[in-house]
Amino acid sequence: MRESVHKVQREAESQLASILSAEDLEAFRLYFLGKKGRLAGLMEDLKACPPQEKRDFGREVNELKQFLETSYESKKEASGLNPVQADSLFDDSLPGIAPLAGKIHPITGTITEISSIFERLGFEIVEGPEIETEFHNFTALNIPLDHPSRDSFDTFYTASGHLLRSQTSTVQIRVMQNRKPPLRIIAPGRVYRPDTVDASHSFMFHQIEGLMVDERTTFSDLKGVLNLFLRELFGSQVKTRFRPHFFPFTEPSVEVDIRWGKGWLEILGAGCVDPAVFEAVGYDVKRVQGFAFGLGVERIAMLRHGIQDIRLFYENDLRFLRQF
Amino acid sequence: MKISVNWLQDFVKLPPPIENIAERLTMAGLEVKKIEPWQNKKDTLFEIEVTSNRPDWLSHLGVAREISAVENLSMQLPEVDKAANRPMPSGWKINIKEAEGCPYYSGVLIEGVTLSPTPDFIRERLEACGIRSIHLIVDITNYVLLETGQPLHAFDADLVTGQEIQIRKAKPGEKLTAIDGKPLELKPEDLVIADSERAVALAGVMGGKDTEVSSKTRNVFLESAFFHPRWIRQTSRRYALSSESSYRFERRVDPEGVDLGRDRALWLIQKYAKPRFISAVIRAGRKPAEVNNTIHLSETLIEKVLGIPIKSSQISLILTKLGLSVTKDGEKSWNVRIPSFRSDLTRPIDLVEEIARIYGFDKIPETLPERAPLFKPRSGLTKLEEKARHFFAGAGLNETVTFSLISERGLSRDAELKNAVAIINPQNKELCWMRPILLTSLLDVIQHNLHAGIRDCFVFEMAHTYAQGAREKSPAEDRVLAFALFGNWKPKSWLDADRKAAFYDLKGIAEAFLQACGIRNFEFVSRPQSFFQPGIAEELKIGPDTVGVLGEAHARFLSLWDLDANVYFAQISLSQLLAHVNWVPVFADLPRYPAIERDMALTVPDAVKTNLIRTEILKFGDGLIHNVHLFDFFRGGRIPKGYKNLGFRITYLSRERTLVSTDIQKLHTEIADAVARKFQATFQ
Repeated sequence: MRESVHKVQREAESQLASILSAEDLEAFRLYFLGKKGRLAGLMEDLKACPPQEKRDFGREVNELKQFLETSYESKKEASGLNPVQADSLFDDSLPGIAPLAGKIHPITGTITEISSIFERLGFEIVEGPEIETEFHNFTALNIPLDHPSRDSFDTFYTASGHLLRSQTSTVQIRVMQNRKPPLRIIAPGRVYRPDTVDASHSFMFHQIEGLMVDERTTFSDLKGVLNLFLRELFGSQVKTRFRPHFFPFTEPSVEVDIRWGKGWLEILGAGCVDPAVFEAVGYDVKRVQGFAFGLGVERIAMLRHGIQDIRLFYENDLRFLRQF
Repeated sequence: MKISVNWLQDFVKLPPPIENIAERLTMAGLEVKKIEPWQNKKDTLFEIEVTSNRPDWLSHLGVAREISAVENLSMQLPEVDKAANRPMPSGWKINIKEAEGCPYYSGVLIEGVTLSPTPDFIRERLEACGIRSIHLIVDITNYVLLETGQPLHAFDADLVTGQEIQIRKAKPGEKLTAIDGKPLELKPEDLVIADSERAVALAGVMGGKDTEVSSKTRNVFLESAFFHPRWIRQTSRRYALSSESSYRFERRVDPEGVDLGRDRALWLIQKYAKPRFISAVIRAGRKPAEVNNTIHLSETLIEKVLGIPIKSSQISLILTKLGLSVTKDGEKSWNVRIPSFRSDLTRPIDLVEEIARIYGFDKIPETLPERAPLFKPRSGLTKLEEKARHFFAGAGLNETVTFSLISERGLSRDAELKNAVAIINPQNKELCWMRPILLTSLLDVIQHNLHAGIRDCFVFEMAHTYAQGAREKSPAEDRVLAFALFGNWKPKSWLDADRKAAFYDLKGIAEAFLQACGIRNFEFVSRPQSFFQPGIAEELKIGPDTVGVLGEAHARFLSLWDLDANVYFAQISLSQLLAHVNWVPVFADLPRYPAIERDMALTVPDAVKTNLIRTEILKFGDGLIHNVHLFDFFRGGRIPKGYKNLGFRITYLSRERTLVSTDIQKLHTEIADAVARKFQATFQ
């Protein structure tokens, strides 16, 4: 093959690979197959060619022509790069028409997220009533009627002598009354305390209670499980500390803080289940032990989403809800 | 509570930096919330938070004791006046008539006090701790309270009638004006201090105005006693009267602190008030014995609870530092004597906590429980809720969370609120009903958004409704799903016209949701409700069960909530729906043969319910009718008044062969004839 034909062939092969748009394809056509293109140039050479070489050269140019035309056509078909004019009336910049799509409330979203972490650890989601008895909300939880430990649990009462639960710990009592260990449960739900509503208080809010009971669950297990949970929720870098505290229904009791900026922020309360609670539900205190924890859903959602005012959760302003 | 660091230095020498001590106290459970300088760094104040189980921390001495344990520092006790050989006062005596309320009472007569100004250190320390300096004697009692935790009370002895101090129940209707000026009418459940004529103090809570010490006081009767926590708490709550004294008594004071506090006050009075004469102390009753002042502790319990062993030497060191006396009882167990100021320690587990908190919770390792899997399936309700949440958000509705407590607005006690649960001590007087229906809560949301300028509002919520149970039974709770539509269901865009939400959008969402739950055998049945517009109300039924209601909110709600467009509202009981959910739909083979569609346009009287016609059509067809779809509905124009025009598209399909039009021509005509007969229909 003559060097000149060979060169055009190679050039065409290399350009073919980089054709991405209709414009590229058109440029290819003009350059090789156009009136003043490379093929036309070779045709000119053919005219000037000595007669004894004309036959072979002619065959080679013809083969090149076929190659160029076939390549062009197949590229055009394969990629739909039809070099036709775009519809000049189509304005692709018009805004899209969004389907109607609603959002999940940040409170229930947070509950689902937290619950799923514990579900992966083998905890089961359970629920209990919101209108409760004195026994489930206080007595069984080792909170005596006339004791200062009750001060932080101001409570709404109904005309029938029931009360609105002031904590989801009631659910651990209900579950323990009805089942034998081992237990691994978490109980999300609404709780009520007659607080004046302001940016950080509400008379109704949400808690998640957790309980793990078997024959050997220890305080170090509590630390392991809660740290795992907090790292999953706040990121693996989160720093935690377990600070001694007092709750009537756990012993030892802790408040768990996470590092937040320069200080520490209390994020949940926990502890080993107090033997008095096991006694209240009829468990053999010598044979069972475990831990319980409780956390405020609003507080966690506020921290994670940067919400400053708890009232936003219950106003349900769509401009708020649509952000989640 | 505020704690003065200078004051602490009287009892323990605190090595700087003070911040580290605060940090270690916090990590031992005595939370120092704030450290602040006082008056140009003359003093430093700790703002501490004391949990209700540790009344012994409600004093400088108590905090110093904790610091000495945590930091391993030695303690210096305050100076006291223990002069024992003073003469008895003439005639004065104490008579405890209510021994449960007051097991132990002591008093001293102090005569001829000089009312010189309060020394600077006392005044400054009181002020630093937030107590106003009043009068030397009162200041000393307050000082001793903050120092030792023992509340004292000083009476003007000359204003007390007679010489017998009685501790008794109040007489019914007995009156007392407290020091704060509040007139009280007492009840027999109140414990009072009385002279021979009347009550002079509400024991442990507040003194009486009549016998208050003043600048004229020369002779003082000083009281130091142990009052029962429950008695004090009940009285304090009954009259919403709380004081530094009642706060400590209701948490239980240290029985030994009764004498310590009194003797400390006498020392200060002797030194600064320069009395002419202090008589001997008179006492009545006995200090309450500890419930359990020796606890048997086994080392195995410590490891069993905490998950790690702690060395014997460390256990005994920690307990000793805390003021507990420890003696070995066998190889791995201890007898631990509990001092009088630690009434919170009654069981071995209490000691485990003490050891753990001083050892350091942060030193206890993290372990993950290695246990056999404990698989419990998700409850149906949890699964159904999750399904509903995603379905409704996907359908364009926003999830809300509204209060379960509602006001009476728009609802009637004879109808919606008939079985509702009422709250007797609502925080907001209006919000006193546990809601029996979510309608008004969602109306609030619509109204809030309308006021914020958002005209289109589609919302849903899953929550409980509440109803009063039968006599003696607990109120009943039901898990429901409620949703509401308001405004333009289709927004106006450059491509489409807008369209207002209609009852049929609500119904369509309900239908689609039930289908998503794999439920097919549901029906909508007209049924009026007090909260829906007449005629625009349906019940959702599955077989014999009513699982929900849907309709257009009654016009009264629109005017009460000031809404300018209709609200469509539905509420479905998830607990009831649950029984009908088909979690695993069974696949029906796809049709192998093409379907044929035929339209049927008919005119019927307005009174004919469209769904009856549809049901009638479905009765025909030897299994060949695959679907009946209403594609047109029209009134007016060429249609005579009192009639409506309906367009049904019937899809014919055979599972055995390809249908040709001749196959269904006869059937289609039969259907038309039947419909015409039954509903007086005419055809176009």
